[in-house]
Amino acid sequence: MSKAVMQLKNLKKTIKNKPIIKGLDFEINSGEVFGFLGPNGAGKTTTIRMMVGLMSMTDGDVIIKGHSVKKDYKKAVQHVGGIVENPEMYPFMSGRKNLIHYSRMVPGVTKERIEEVIKLVGLEKRVNDKVSKYSLGMRQRLGIAQALLHKPSILILDEPTNGLDPSGIREIRAYIRRLAAEEGVAVIVSSHILSEMEMMCDRIGIIKNGELISIQSVNDALQQSDQKEVSLEAEPLEEAQIVLNEVIEGNVLLNEGKLTFTVTREEIPGIIASLVSREIDVYSVTVTRSTLEDKFLDLIGEGAIE
Amino acid sequence: MSNFIQLVKNEQMKMYAQISTWVMLIILAVLVIGFGIILKVDGGMTQQEAPAGNEWREALQAENEQIESEMEEGSGFAPMNEETLAKNQYRLDNDIAPSGYNVWNFVQENRTNVSIISLLTIIVAASIIANEFKWGTIKLLLIRPISRTKILAAKYTSVLVYAATMLLLLYILSILTGAALFGTNNFSEPFLFMKDGEVQEAPIFQHTASQYLLSSVNLFMMATFAFMISAVFRNSALAIGVAIFLMLSGNSIVAFFMDKEWAKYILFANTNLNQFFTGTPMIPDLTLGFSVSVLAVYLIVFLGLSWLFFTKRDVTNS
Repeated sequence: MSKAVMQLKNLKKTIKNKPIIKGLDFEINSGEVFGFLGPNGAGKTTTIRMMVGLMSMTDGDVIIKGHSVKKDYKKAVQHVGGIVENPEMYPFMSGRKNLIHYSRMVPGVTKERIEEVIKLVGLEKRVNDKVSKYSLGMRQRLGIAQALLHKPSILILDEPTNGLDPSGIREIRAYIRRLAAEEGVAVIVSSHILSEMEMMCDRIGIIKNGELISIQSVNDALQQSDQKEVSLEAEPLEEAQIVLNEVIEGNVLLNEGKLTFTVTREEIPGIIASLVSREIDVYSVTVTRSTLEDKFLDLIGEGAIE
Repeated sequence: MSNFIQLVKNEQMKMYAQISTWVMLIILAVLVIGFGIILKVDGGMTQQEAPAGNEWREALQAENEQIESEMEEGSGFAPMNEETLAKNQYRLDNDIAPSGYNVWNFVQENRTNVSIISLLTIIVAASIIANEFKWGTIKLLLIRPISRTKILAAKYTSVLVYAATMLLLLYILSILTGAALFGTNNFSEPFLFMKDGEVQEAPIFQHTASQYLLSSVNLFMMATFAFMISAVFRNSALAIGVAIFLMLSGNSIVAFFMDKEWAKYILFANTNLNQFFTGTPMIPDLTLGFSVSVLAVYLIVFLGLSWLFFTKRDVTNS
């Protein structure tokens, strides 16, 4: 992909002699959605706070578009839009006034841009209501609107789908993908909803106890685990088991009236064909994908917080 | 610079979007108008009519004779009598008729409401930073390409603008209420005051306006103090509590340490600048220059601490 818009260089944070972040080194490229994954207390929020200058760095630096957050904060942070933790807005003002408020803090945001952003996040009907009357989902949308006002090159979203209903989640996800693909925005998303990350991100960095333990592209992660666990409902069961044992190398287990076995995706149609040719009735075939979630748990192990 | 004005506009917008700000303005208005109505309905002295025609000369002469005879007997409160005597004589000499209770008396009496404004300004100053932390909006506020120093300065400016708005409101409302209830006769009468044993004359408008400004020195210092506590501890209740406590107990603190050599360095010994223009200083060797310097040092310390804590400390959840 294209060049890095954000670089973390040996980023460290120590609070009261306790190392919270123990040296992070990675890059985020324009046009990619980067997932920041980790259990609670791993240091996701601390890292994000250092990226945007809310917290000082003990050591190392964050470079945004060639500008150091440490030394040239204003130039670095003007390329960044974001929500840090919850999308907290001024509850006593309307959504539009909140946006006007933030628009005054960056140069070059026009009235038209504010309207455009409101439309983008689908808040047209409620934008004149006070934020105190908004649902969490609407606040989330307003939060995203505020982050997009100045057309940032990097969008940092902490748990962006938190509190959204399923259709809202799908909308936001599609929107994030579109921003990355069409406008080349680098999006950093933090979350611990793994299936979410899988659908949204290009690359995922896993952080545990202040250390980056793995960065991988989502496609790789899925390919690595391309053995799928399949459970099958068929009649008569015993005969089906015999057939399966003939065509599959691994074990076939009989479990609560279902047969379970592990094969690759490509093998599944052949297996079904051979069952059908022996006149066995197949009622259902369910693939339980070995997903990122397992991978994630494999990586971080149990008892994640030290 | 233009974006600094935008920031102050933002702060004002947030301030006036809150109901509590309007409640404060209404409280002040009710106090002034209510005070006026009570004076009008109940007041003995406000009903006094100014003597008509040339009668005032006779009245003043009679008063002076009475005072003189009192002074010969050695009774009465000497310095005050002397002042009245001198002022009366000045009126007789210069043909300035005394007026009854009019709009300017009312404006002068409303000066006490400056302490109410102090109270309200302390609340605003204490909340303006702490509330951003309470609401969590500080995070979104600080991730903009604007230095924290500038944001802090915009907030402080906004507090001062609020205080100035309240003072102006008090002044104008006092004039309007006073004019409506007590009339505008002798609207342009001069104000007489004693300085260095001589009677001086000053335009009444100038006199009342400067009195209001001098009274707001205490307001200004306490608001800055509350602002500092708010920036350092990020807690509005603490800032309001401590600032109001100090404001109310300031004079007692000075009185308590009066005999100590360092008493003149106490903030509250210097906040009453009125004492240098009309009256005698609380501590004898105070001068206007000294007081102003002490105030400036306190101001620098307050603002310096606010700046240090606001710009250097990490923004966390706690």
